[in-house]
Amino acid sequence: MTAPVGRLLRSELRWVFRRPRTLIALAVVSAVPVAMGIGIAVSDQSSGGGPDALIAEAFGNGLVLPIAALSVTMLLLIPLIVSMSAADALAGEAAHGTLRGLLLAPVGRIRLVAVKSFGVLAVTAVAVALVATVGLVTGLLVIGNGEQMLTLSGTSLTTVEALGRIGILAGWVIVQMAAIGAIGLAVSSVTEHPLVVMAVTVGGLILFTVLTTISALDWLHPVLLPIGWFAAADVLRDPMPWDGLLRSGYRAACYLLIGLSLTVARTVTRDA
Amino acid sequence: MSATAIGAVAGAATGVGVPVAAPAAVSARGLRKVFGRTVAVDEIDLDVSAGVVLGVLGPNGSGKTTVIRMLLGLCRPSAGTVSLLGAPMPEGAGDVLPRVGALVEGPGFHPFLSGRENLRRCATFEPAVPTAAIAATVDDALARVGLAAAARRAYRGYSLGMKQRLGLAAALLVPRELVVLDEPTNGLDPAGTREVRRIIAELHAAGTTVVVSSHLLAEVEATCTHVAVLQSGTVIAQGELARLLEGDAPVLEVITDDAPDALAALREAGIPSTRCRGGVEAELVATSAPAVLTVLVHAGVAVQEARRRRTGLEELFAQLTEPGSEAR
Repeated sequence: MTAPVGRLLRSELRWVFRRPRTLIALAVVSAVPVAMGIGIAVSDQSSGGGPDALIAEAFGNGLVLPIAALSVTMLLLIPLIVSMSAADALAGEAAHGTLRGLLLAPVGRIRLVAVKSFGVLAVTAVAVALVATVGLVTGLLVIGNGEQMLTLSGTSLTTVEALGRIGILAGWVIVQMAAIGAIGLAVSSVTEHPLVVMAVTVGGLILFTVLTTISALDWLHPVLLPIGWFAAADVLRDPMPWDGLLRSGYRAACYLLIGLSLTVARTVTRDA
Repeated sequence: MSATAIGAVAGAATGVGVPVAAPAAVSARGLRKVFGRTVAVDEIDLDVSAGVVLGVLGPNGSGKTTVIRMLLGLCRPSAGTVSLLGAPMPEGAGDVLPRVGALVEGPGFHPFLSGRENLRRCATFEPAVPTAAIAATVDDALARVGLAAAARRAYRGYSLGMKQRLGLAAALLVPRELVVLDEPTNGLDPAGTREVRRIIAELHAAGTTVVVSSHLLAEVEATCTHVAVLQSGTVIAQGELARLLEGDAPVLEVITDDAPDALAALREAGIPSTRCRGGVEAELVATSAPAVLTVLVHAGVAVQEARRRRTGLEELFAQLTEPGSEAR
């Protein structure tokens, strides 16, 4: 005897998106493409386009702004939001004593993980979609040139092709961020301190990113999630090379599988 | 602790705690829970017949909440078995918990949501509430605990008493066969405490089995039909409240101005007795109240008043749990 799963998912969405910190975090992440757009529009390209090739590419090239904004926010800001959401999902509920209430209702423990994963995925997807959409609108309004997208390969894509590339990148970023969310959920299932989840998840991401820069550890690189994130720029090449995006996608899928397995294994035996 | 004193109390409980005909709502055998190196509870046998109100009484840290969590399948016993409404726990949680309402370790709600939103969330996860009836169920529950006026306010602004009442509302969202309340009067003012007692009495009248834990003796005395006393993680006495109140050594208090004469007469008759304020106390171990009075009247003692002293759960509790008391 269990409550219909549809209403559990709706309730989870309601809970996630009513939480003030979710809304604040989403507002902050939406501000990034706006700030980037304004910064690019008012600066003089000739005064040294900046270190990031993608940001440089966005000068006078409005359709590139969502891509540049996604590639910037996926490094730290979206992982922060995702890990916050994962922290609240299980550890936060345990801290408030509400996890006990859910288990007493009862909601099955595996179903609970499913509902919670859905909530984290929803926050992830909304954060990515916001960056892409706000980036697109800002790019078109502030930078302009919506007719074509200049690629890194020197060719230009039509608006429709450009929107396709933005969509591909957004989907790929959601998969990468979901992997972080799964690891966050696994940590969330062993503690009742949400800050521990954020410290471990974001701290771990920073550690992994540092490891990717140490060439002596190149034997370790294939298992590091952020090693594949350079592939984000591939959507700006023509023709688009798929292998980097796919390989990092498979890597993220492994993280996702491991994270969710650990979460389920821990949740079914957890004392509440 | 001395085996004889406890044995006597436990003996009084045998045959009373488990009426043969009534099915057990809760039955636990050999429960043990170890956290790391700490043995939280050990060798707990508990039987709760359907329809009774069981008070789980014990000082703080005696393992009441741990026992309740194991009964409800929230944590898995290190050893032993639990049967809840006929289903083994924690495996049967999905089948029986919809029929069980519980408030464990205080109310747990989200501070940023209103009382109604919090309760709505509980109702959504409650299998026994049809989707179409969620709103009405929540409003009813809020009204039942007197929170209708505060339903829209954020939970973080609630007083301790209001939080506790919201917890009760969640436990009583739908009619239950078994209600488990862990320290339900914590933080409540006298009016709130009376309210909880009234709710428990109503549940009892409706035939619901209730398990209520408390470290307050008066609370258990006021609400329960049965009691299980916990100390350091084990049940040291269990049975019908009235039997446990009587204890194993009833005493007749005799109020008289001729205490020395009374004492002499009783001792001559071989009845163990002591001086007390206003008279003497005679132990009714091998004798009866009329026999004591006959001895006294024949000895010419002017008896003003005689009453059987009610042992009082407080005294029992003190006997059983205070270090250095005679029951240990």
